[in-house]
Amino acid sequence: MTEFTLSVNQQQYTVDVDDDTPLLWVLRDTLHLTGTKYSCGMGLCGSCTVLIDGQAQRSCITPVANASGVEITTIEGLSDNGEHPVQQAWQDEYVTQCGYCQPGQIMNAVALLDNIPNPSDEDIDAAMKDVLCRCGTYQRIRKAIHSAAEGV
Amino acid sequence: MEVNRRDFLKVVGTAGASLMIAVYLEPGSRLAAAAQADAVSEDTFQPNLYIKIDKDSKVTITAFRSEMGQGIRTAIAMIVADELNADWDSVIIEQASADPDYGDQVTGGSASISSYYGSLRIAGATGREMLKSAAAAQWEVDAAECSTDSGFVIHPDGQQKLPYGDLVESASEVDAPEMWTVPLKPESEFSLIGSDMDHWDAPDIVTGKAVYASDIHLPNMLYATLARCPVFGGSVASYDDSKTLQVNGVHSVHEIDGAVAVVAENTWAAIKGRQALVISWNEGDGVNLSSQGIRASLAERVPEMGSAEDGRIDAVYEFPYQAHVTMEPMNCVADVREDSCEVWAPTQNAQQVKSVVQRATRISADKITVHVPLMGGGFGRRLQTDYAFEAAALSKAVGAPLKVFWSRADDIQRDFYHPMSYQYASGDPAAVKRPNVRAQDGENIIPSGAWRSVFNHTEAFSRESFIDELAFAAGIDPVEYRLEIFSGRGGAVIELAAEKAGWSETLPENWGRGMAYFATFNVTHVAMVAEVEVNASGEVRVQRVVCAVDCGTAVNPDNIAAQMEGGIAFGLTAALKAGVTLENGRINESNFHDCPILQIDEMPVVEVHIIESDDNPSGIGEMGVPPIAPALSNAIFDATGIRVRHLPIKPEDLF
Repeated sequence: MTEFTLSVNQQQYTVDVDDDTPLLWVLRDTLHLTGTKYSCGMGLCGSCTVLIDGQAQRSCITPVANASGVEITTIEGLSDNGEHPVQQAWQDEYVTQCGYCQPGQIMNAVALLDNIPNPSDEDIDAAMKDVLCRCGTYQRIRKAIHSAAEGV
Repeated sequence: MEVNRRDFLKVVGTAGASLMIAVYLEPGSRLAAAAQADAVSEDTFQPNLYIKIDKDSKVTITAFRSEMGQGIRTAIAMIVADELNADWDSVIIEQASADPDYGDQVTGGSASISSYYGSLRIAGATGREMLKSAAAAQWEVDAAECSTDSGFVIHPDGQQKLPYGDLVESASEVDAPEMWTVPLKPESEFSLIGSDMDHWDAPDIVTGKAVYASDIHLPNMLYATLARCPVFGGSVASYDDSKTLQVNGVHSVHEIDGAVAVVAENTWAAIKGRQALVISWNEGDGVNLSSQGIRASLAERVPEMGSAEDGRIDAVYEFPYQAHVTMEPMNCVADVREDSCEVWAPTQNAQQVKSVVQRATRISADKITVHVPLMGGGFGRRLQTDYAFEAAALSKAVGAPLKVFWSRADDIQRDFYHPMSYQYASGDPAAVKRPNVRAQDGENIIPSGAWRSVFNHTEAFSRESFIDELAFAAGIDPVEYRLEIFSGRGGAVIELAAEKAGWSETLPENWGRGMAYFATFNVTHVAMVAEVEVNASGEVRVQRVVCAVDCGTAVNPDNIAAQMEGGIAFGLTAALKAGVTLENGRINESNFHDCPILQIDEMPVVEVHIIESDDNPSGIGEMGVPPIAPALSNAIFDATGIRVRHLPIKPEDLF
């Protein structure tokens, strides 16, 4: 067990966990920030995506040791009550079905729009194709990203 | 339907809802609001099982079926709130725990709304009529002269009005009318039914506040992961847990139900503890099973292609095992105490969970509470209750609250699969009638179960592919050929889909267009036209899918479109990408790299057209799956002249 200081959603936390613990389980089990989801555990599906210094990262394959000294943003830290333009667009386009992958989809979309404020369909494909949704909400995700881009 | 106030109060009394709230609800979430409404239940008007109205006019509607993304919570609330004339912004949805007072809670067969549409309308209308009676008594006017609108009873003068919240006490004194005498709204006066409505849980989902079973934390909760025999039907011969017990955070190791469970203080410790286990398995006879062997035995049981006589043609269609691959793997939380138990189960079958927990714990059913949080997909997998047994048995064994979690590999390799199938179709092209399809599924120890649309998926592929083969053999356009076979609602959706798709318009080179029609469970009629592009390497790009749907009354039209999009994505995964394979009794696939699902860059543009209807709603959750694979295959034939008779269709099949 090692003590790590993490900055999550602009709050400082000290956690005492094994060095190799993936950030995902620190967020979920230790900090009880359960908006970030487990689905594959191998960085294959994107459900666990968080922002690390603004870039989309898979928390299920990010050891906690690599998450110290950086700013981590989870879905809970994106806004107080869903006011972020991407969260708004998700509701305007009625994106969600089961909703389980959507925090990861939203975090990836936020990072995409930060890098490319007005993405083309090809940009969206490139940035979002490894973020999986079994409910098939993709058409709406595409629309929501375009509409968030217009609103930003 | 139960419209009995006493029964309802009994349900509230045993649900333990305030305790549930204390342990897991996110402050500020819509679920937390539902909990607060529940906590003041003595101050509410509760005309029946489904409705509670409190003094500040909050209307709590109970969803008694399980939400897995199909929109059932929202649809139930829309129907009740419409007849109640509630203000939608004041509606809170509360999830029922497992209780036979709700009747059948099995959420499957796309049947929740079709079975309960009338009952839910009566429930809402009963509340509305009782509120009108209470207001009429206060005003000393005839209740029949009063009306209701958005949470108010309106005086016959059209001016005075009383909010529902002010009538909570007096309405509680009104005798409930006999259910068959309650007047229902004419369809023309619907204010919610027929409107596009986002899922009620969406604000919680997009902020990460939505609660799935896997998100639940209880004080002192332990975490468990199970190593199960990789071969179906196998069992534990022996195991060495000495290294496991040295892993920091591991609590204990248990053998249950043919598996070895590692219990730990957190998820990661449980995972590492499981990796350190050394297990010797009795693999059993299952080790002799393989996809190849099952395939050979199925092939023996259907006639050979080309054996039809007398001008008939025939074909054999082949399907692999399919896994459900819900984004949220199986999991369950159980808190088994001395003589009571609380369970949080992601289940489509809450009452069955209660039975299974009873079997695992020997606690009487009336002391077991089964909560049903949101589910990260279901697709039929969560009709099974294996994970709930594990959680209850382990919580009892360790004497602490415990969460069982499955890895992605566990989830893919311990599924109840859509079975492998061989199907033989035959027919006379000149006869122009529905062909015969005979199915043979594998009969062996590989667990099988309902998979979104069940047998309709395979039957639709065989029948609708073969109708295209018949039409081609007869030299008749496949849409015209279908219209000779299917009339009525089927004919109407075929015509509408063909028209909206521009069936006879020219397509670019290497593109093809295909049609399929199917009435899933014989109730909801869906026709689809798929447009595909096939490149020189045999890679298929589905460009556009046009759907026409007749599902009776469209309760939430946008959700019908969403379910079509979802069914298409699910069906295209089976048609182009997935399927699991068996070798030496083991499932080969383990994660998204070898069991891929459709990605955003592979999703076609989907257009959905709904037939207007006042008929009873007929269900929508599964109906988008069956027509897409044959529509795709027929479009590939149109583009390439190649007829593929198996799924998944791979590039090597197409050049």
